[in-house]
Amino acid sequence: MNELEPTLAEIDVDGALQETAAAVTRGDFLRRAATATAAAAAGALVTEAVAGAAVAQTANDIAILRFDQVLEYLQAGLYTEAERLGALKPETLAWARVVGAHERAHLQAIKLLLGEHAVKSPGFNYAGVTSDEAAFVKTAVGFEDLTAALLKWQAPRLDSREIVAAAVSLHSVETRHAAWIRKLVGLQPATTAFDKPASQQKMAQLIDSTHFLVSRPVTSSRKKPRYTG
Amino acid sequence: MRRRVVAGALVAVAAVAVGLVARAAWPSGTHDTARGLAREAAKLPPPEQPAFHVARPRLLSRSETAARFAPVLHTVQAVAGPEAGAPPVAPLDVRTPEGTANVVLVLGERRRPTGLWVHVRLPVLPNGRTGWVPRAALGGYEFVHTHLVVDREQRKATLLDDGRPIFTAPVGIGKASSPTPSGEFYVRNRVSGFGDPFYGPIAFGTSARSAVLTDWPDGGFVGIHGTNEPQLIPGAVSHGCIRLRNADILRLARLMPVGTPLTIR
Repeated sequence: MNELEPTLAEIDVDGALQETAAAVTRGDFLRRAATATAAAAAGALVTEAVAGAAVAQTANDIAILRFDQVLEYLQAGLYTEAERLGALKPETLAWARVVGAHERAHLQAIKLLLGEHAVKSPGFNYAGVTSDEAAFVKTAVGFEDLTAALLKWQAPRLDSREIVAAAVSLHSVETRHAAWIRKLVGLQPATTAFDKPASQQKMAQLIDSTHFLVSRPVTSSRKKPRYTG
Repeated sequence: MRRRVVAGALVAVAAVAVGLVARAAWPSGTHDTARGLAREAAKLPPPEQPAFHVARPRLLSRSETAARFAPVLHTVQAVAGPEAGAPPVAPLDVRTPEGTANVVLVLGERRRPTGLWVHVRLPVLPNGRTGWVPRAALGGYEFVHTHLVVDREQRKATLLDDGRPIFTAPVGIGKASSPTPSGEFYVRNRVSGFGDPFYGPIAFGTSARSAVLTDWPDGGFVGIHGTNEPQLIPGAVSHGCIRLRNADILRLARLMPVGTPLTIR
């Protein structure tokens, strides 16, 4: 591995890989995202359909797409926050601006396809990565490389050829994102003749290790207020 | 025998000649291959329609006026500057008196060798105070595009979305003896279902505090809420809170998220 390539530990910028106490919520969330529908829809077709629109119908496809939706949330959130904070180098911000728009569009497309099975947006805590050039770039390279690898793993597992056709249209874009950010920071854009797939489980571990996924803060209550009146 | 040799030689020469002519006609030599591939391609099944088409990517508007806030993750001392040894300003708790996450409005960040520091607006007296906390003391940033402006003289509240007014309503403000404080604040929580007609159906807590009612229970925070005396609005009628008619507070609640910056002037 190129020494400039990000390792899992580097992506976990707070060095919190060893921390396990707070991992329950994130782990639960990822497990839900990956497998929640499997129990509900095990072995059966999910027949609800949005009139006139393609929908994911099998438990396999729904589980895969829900996972992808969480990943798109995570990436779109990361790049969007980086753009809003505006603390990175201009060329990195330009990358985040374009790629953020792509990921938001991907997210919307997957949400529509999932319909009622779509995952509600989790909370995110990027913990300073979005305003730290080195940490942001390492995270972005890791996410884009692994997303392309993940789609390769998922494609042959999809039941619907229509969804495969849609997924490959995302895959090529993700590989371009990966090559672009790699070139931006002086990494080889294309290092191998054949790419290896990365499993959904591996991606789940990576996401969990970043600690980016958090519960949203509770800001509403039913307790009688004691404002001055 | 000789004739056979000559005939064979002529056939060989003819074959070579035909090959050369063919090569000249199709210099790439791929004509038959391409035709064959095209014939094979025609037998393939028709392409699948993709299950979704990704819509045109939408860039963030450069003009949007986003503010950000974050919850306090653990009790922390806000200090006067972005360094651990700076003078203390005020402690920040994890929860508000209403039991919600204690959120702070983020004004900026500064990176130091010791880590990232965040400049925040504080819900403390005197009103308008700000301080610095380590980034690690806060949770994830949430962004809002709204801004509530309360004009005490005109007794009117206006909600802006990306700078454009989307809501206005008359308000009740503090009496002369308990004035609504002026300054820059933010909405920090929302309570409903508490069953007290005095506050109407919904109330928002703010970071503003009464400078007069300092011994008020739970700190004397200024709220934005409904009322059971709508006939008093607009007017200077409250103990510092911003009162709206119930229909107006319900309308506002559909438009204004927690974290919205609040200007009282």
